[in-house]
Amino acid sequence: MNRLAHDELMELRSELLRVTASLVESIPRATQILLDQDLEGAEYQILADDEMDSRTLDLEDRCVTLMALHAPVASELRHAVTIMKMSADIERSADLVVNICKVARRIHGMPLDPKMRGLIGRMGTQAQILFRHAIQAYADLDLPMAKAVDDMDLFLDYLHRQFIESIFESHSAGTIDLPVAIQMAVTARFFERIGDHAVNVAHYVQYLITGEIPPAGDHRRGGRLSDSTGEIEGLPA
Amino acid sequence: MSFVLGLLLGLAVGVVSYLLFVATSRELPVITSPESTTEVDTRAQENIASLMQIQDAISSLSVGVVVVDEKGIETFRNKFAESVTGIPHADVLVEEVVEQHVKFALNGETKRQVLDLFGPPRKVFSVSATPLLIGGAVVMIEDITERFLVDAVRTDFVANISHELKTPVGALAVLAEALSEEDDLDIIQRLSEKMVDEAIRVGRTIDDLLELSRIEFGGEAVKEEVDAEAIILASISRVSPLATAHSIKVAMIDLPEPLKVVGDRRQLASAIGNLVENAVKYSEVDSSVEVSAQADGEWVEFIVRDFGLGIPSRDLDRVFERFYRVDRARSRDTGGTGLGLAIVRHVANNHGGEVSVTSIEGEGSTFAFKIPKFDVHHQTLMKESA
Repeated sequence: MNRLAHDELMELRSELLRVTASLVESIPRATQILLDQDLEGAEYQILADDEMDSRTLDLEDRCVTLMALHAPVASELRHAVTIMKMSADIERSADLVVNICKVARRIHGMPLDPKMRGLIGRMGTQAQILFRHAIQAYADLDLPMAKAVDDMDLFLDYLHRQFIESIFESHSAGTIDLPVAIQMAVTARFFERIGDHAVNVAHYVQYLITGEIPPAGDHRRGGRLSDSTGEIEGLPA
Repeated sequence: MSFVLGLLLGLAVGVVSYLLFVATSRELPVITSPESTTEVDTRAQENIASLMQIQDAISSLSVGVVVVDEKGIETFRNKFAESVTGIPHADVLVEEVVEQHVKFALNGETKRQVLDLFGPPRKVFSVSATPLLIGGAVVMIEDITERFLVDAVRTDFVANISHELKTPVGALAVLAEALSEEDDLDIIQRLSEKMVDEAIRVGRTIDDLLELSRIEFGGEAVKEEVDAEAIILASISRVSPLATAHSIKVAMIDLPEPLKVVGDRRQLASAIGNLVENAVKYSEVDSSVEVSAQADGEWVEFIVRDFGLGIPSRDLDRVFERFYRVDRARSRDTGGTGLGLAIVRHVANNHGGEVSVTSIEGEGSTFAFKIPKFDVHHQTLMKESA
């Protein structure tokens, strides 16, 4: 691959880092929008997603062009593939952030009990930490950090489970309406999914470094907290 | 031995020949320049020195400075601009804005943008770029987080104080109006009871405001020996009616050793009392509140822990502000004046100590109030003054 193509790959890399930085920034922002039921903030965040979409699409496009025109091999081929795959995960995560903001609109005016608010805040923080580490691992090509993201996801899954339990508790105490309960259940899933996308990103970082994609669901071997779809075991249906 | 000597000799020869070379090469400009060698030399050195000094000064500024040439290629970046936030992903976002502004400046435009980064911790930056006369541009990155927060505190304070004072006064006016046109004795009775409640409420707010300004402007706190356990027991007995009403158990965890602190007994009682009262107010029915104290080097730390509503993380830094309410809708239920924690903070400051809080929303809060421990040193001081 010639110098020009190499420069293009480096540019793609820095653009990916920027798009991800915006995503990492938007996760706690969306969490706060949800907790404050901030309609204006939600609107802004929803509109901002168009830019994320076009930027990630552009990234994928440029990767395809790079591969078609310059036929990269070995680590450079892996790098181009990695950027393409990661941008899809990032685009999807940005959509989930938008979904969280939309929940803020749907539950507007309905109070949440403090325990749930606390758990939402913690899920938001944890989801951001996951993505932050995944992208840091990419920026520094840090294999141990990429592997650590798997373990961090276990904690997010644990929070997710706790959150679902707290919905049931609120329901039996009669302090939550059915529509809010449903919205909260999907919100918990949104955070959990963002975490899974961060895990995917970390997996591609491992692939970029080692040339091998870690088997899916491998990290959950200790305890099998949830299956590959993120479904929770052992909870009342 | 001879080897070392030879080495030294060789070194000496080398140094001498280098000096000779330097001396001869310095003589060259004499032919072309009217000034003497030493003058040119010192002037050049002075210039370099002053340039380096300026570079040093810019490097140590707490404003980020980035200089680019006319092609937009970076030629200088000071220390602050290398990592303005200390958080990698936030730095990437700042860098993106910097690059945008470089483009503006190279087109001859001067723009300024405020970048509000959520963090955590939240950071606010102002980025601006100016074209340079000799070509290229300079970008400045300024951390304006503090200014932003202070502004928020000020506007909120004005909004909150008017809310806290106007609401009960407004209610009094409406109640009085209704009362003046009422014949039914029962209703008159009910309305006047409400008026008394509102009057007490506004009275309490004013009392607390006065107390706060007394602590704030009252000068040095009195320094006396105060027993920690007595303070805790007094505050617990003060809140016991409220606690029993909500069936909340307030208990002191036995102190590992008798602890004495230095301070103003009345102010300390007010501070710990406020913390305990707060804990009870924001606890759920049938839960408990724990109060304890422990020595920490030169300090004694009072700890008040509840298992109640907790405080959202974004409000944690702000709960000690006057009239700051986490949930304004609830503020009337708890019956507080919104000044309790502000008083606590001022008492801590007055004693050279500090108060801090950790909390998880929905699981409870822990307040730690730290003031100096009473020791032998204070004892002798007091004897002398007596």
